[in-house]
Amino acid sequence: MVKFKIYRFEKGKNSNPRFENFTIKEGEGMTILDALFKIKDEIDGTLSFRYSCRGAVCGSCGMLINGSPMLACRTQVGDLIKGKLNFELMIHGPFAFPSINKIDSMEIQIEPLPNFAIIKDLVVDMKSFFNGYESIDPWFIKKNKFNNENKMSQKEMKAIEPYINCIMCGICFSKCPSAKRDNKYLGPATLAKAWRFLADSRFENKKEMLKKVDSHRGVWACDTVYRCVDFCPKNVPSTQGITAIRRKLLLNKLIRW
Amino acid sequence: MIMKDNKVFSHDIIIIGAGLAGLRAALEASKSTNVAVVTKVHPLRSHSISAQGGINASLSIDDSWENHAKDTIKGGDYLADQDAVEVLCKEAPDRIEEMEKWGTLFSRTNNGKIAQRPFGGASYPRTCYASDRTGHNLLHTLYEQTLRQGVIFYEEFIVTSLIINENTCSGIIAINLVNGDLVTFKSKAVILATGGYGRVYNNSTNALINTGDGMALAYRHNIPLKDMEFVQFHPTTLYGSNILISEACRGEGGILFNNEGKRFMENYAPELMELAPRDIVARAIETEINEGRGFKNEYVSLDITHLGKDKIMERLPQIHDIALHFAGIDSTLEPIPVQPGQHYSMGGIPTDIDGRTSISGLYAAGECACVSVHGANRLGGNSLLETIVFGRRAGVAVALDLKEMDFKEWPLEIYKNEKLRIDRLISAEGKERIIPLRKELGRLMTEKVGIFRNEKGLLDARNKIRTIKKRYNDISIQDKGNVFNTELALALELGNLIDLAEVIVVSALARKESRGSHFRLDYPKRNDNEWLHHTLAQFLEDNIRLKFKRVKITRFKPEERIY
Repeated sequence: MVKFKIYRFEKGKNSNPRFENFTIKEGEGMTILDALFKIKDEIDGTLSFRYSCRGAVCGSCGMLINGSPMLACRTQVGDLIKGKLNFELMIHGPFAFPSINKIDSMEIQIEPLPNFAIIKDLVVDMKSFFNGYESIDPWFIKKNKFNNENKMSQKEMKAIEPYINCIMCGICFSKCPSAKRDNKYLGPATLAKAWRFLADSRFENKKEMLKKVDSHRGVWACDTVYRCVDFCPKNVPSTQGITAIRRKLLLNKLIRW
Repeated sequence: MIMKDNKVFSHDIIIIGAGLAGLRAALEASKSTNVAVVTKVHPLRSHSISAQGGINASLSIDDSWENHAKDTIKGGDYLADQDAVEVLCKEAPDRIEEMEKWGTLFSRTNNGKIAQRPFGGASYPRTCYASDRTGHNLLHTLYEQTLRQGVIFYEEFIVTSLIINENTCSGIIAINLVNGDLVTFKSKAVILATGGYGRVYNNSTNALINTGDGMALAYRHNIPLKDMEFVQFHPTTLYGSNILISEACRGEGGILFNNEGKRFMENYAPELMELAPRDIVARAIETEINEGRGFKNEYVSLDITHLGKDKIMERLPQIHDIALHFAGIDSTLEPIPVQPGQHYSMGGIPTDIDGRTSISGLYAAGECACVSVHGANRLGGNSLLETIVFGRRAGVAVALDLKEMDFKEWPLEIYKNEKLRIDRLISAEGKERIIPLRKELGRLMTEKVGIFRNEKGLLDARNKIRTIKKRYNDISIQDKGNVFNTELALALELGNLIDLAEVIVVSALARKESRGSHFRLDYPKRNDNEWLHHTLAQFLEDNIRLKFKRVKITRFKPEERIY
């Protein structure tokens, strides 16, 4: 049997934030998402959480599991309770340190992602996160006619690919100290996206995009402590993207000067 | 009259679903009209994001749309409407080029062109790809472009009903999941782009949200569903969780082995081996397992170790990740345990080649539609293609037709009745729990309406589904709240799944032959004399009425399918 300590909350007058305990039987290969469904099914149908692909590609189910932001669908219950959590799998950054609370008890604590407003239980409001993303105009605008075929080297493709793998799950934002200070900070995911465009030779609006991220709420807000990179489930090197943009901005300023 | 809980939104066009088909339609239609997309998850959580292997187009001068069409039609066991396949294959290169110009990151050849890989049932390597995250890259690009164009999104709204009055669709009713409001959307036209029903089966590769909502909505408004007996089972899904292990693994050279270490595809498709079409490979694996040559009687091995670590990390990085995280397998060192699992619906809402349905003002595109380009078995790489080709065409058609259409009034009872139905559902205090009932349905379908079917099993399934349908009327919902009530969402979805399961079974019972993905042990041969017909299943109060429609054959005459 495994004990789950789950954060409960409902937006509105009687939000009544609290932890509730649920004990269920652990099954082989059970993920945190499976466990949440089991609790919802067998004990409390009112428990709410987001889900979609259950294969770690859609970014719906980011949540705080024993203090670390992770995708519920990819986190095995067995790994957590046996304290076997594989740090190499979970943590990737160059300055990664084992901040995941490795506990040997049979208790797993689940909370919504920090740095977001809560809608219900484990469901957070991601509106401001996506507003930030939209604010940089993250799209191609082709000025020249659609007639000549774009070519791209394999090298360039490989350089952009890590930044494009972002699934917008918000895990980076939840652990970012800059986001904690300022909720309107564009955040690692959006800035990684910005670099994805800036690094793409096909993208023509580089000047405008650079302008949009050149602010105290843009690339200059980053503490470069790689918390986003540590926890990103898709190994997106956001901090490297941010520093690359800073270099570009500084270089532009130098040239102008 | 606007009541307190009756919020009304109004847009020229409402598109339900924000996967590739919905977004492509939105992008096209919003050039000239006011478009809103209503979706039950954020667009980037749509199931299109999961698509791995690639998208087909005859880009090379050594290839041609005719070759692509021939492969598609043969792969579909000659049930596809050939005029529609022609459209699909002719338009493919333009649609891919357009996506590339909008910024989709594709893998590249040495000289910088879009890279293409071999895929099942294809006579030429024409599957364009982006490592093994093709769907992700395409969906992000289309989402970006729809934002650029100012398409409005209503996210986390669950559509409960279409408003169809006098054979014309003029809006929808939906629940805003965030606050529980039941709201109406008035529109001149509605496009359904809700994807497949994978979760009718418990062993599906599909996202948990794939509950065939659009098909069920249309079906309950008496629109017949076409070719629903044709359910694609993907040969290679991860043992246990049934997460998709892309066909690209085999396209890149992956080999299937049974427990005797034998490359068993030699016996089933000596020419194409692992790259035979999906129905053939799925049946081969199922046969190996059934005859005791699987591992634990559950799975076979998919070996990609010989590709080497570099190639795996370059071409199949996500597959490597999935095997590692969900099965603890390092695919560079050991084979991946795979078994067939439900993957795709060839059937759906019948449309013409411009997405029009039999109801004025109602369109459909993508997996929920059946233009009939996949016939009895879809080739890998053709579903992504279908979404952008026919999504765009639906968008063009609806913008054109809009000139003749206007907003319509409808009787207030339509909203009142729907409100009553939802209120009654939410107050349900019966004996049955939703999730176990959904699981029971899924197991039943996998067991009796899976890869191999026979009359006895299908009849049994039909009776049991009818019992499940009765039990569904006795469910309980514990969550009586308004805010993010996912239990209510699950209940609505289960209603859809049950209706669609019944249609699949009844259609499968009627088709007394084996063709493509539909294999009847009691009728193991294809029968072109009697069954070059589409099945149309229509909802009646207490029954399903079946009709049949001749397949359109233009230039490719049915031949025996040998690979």
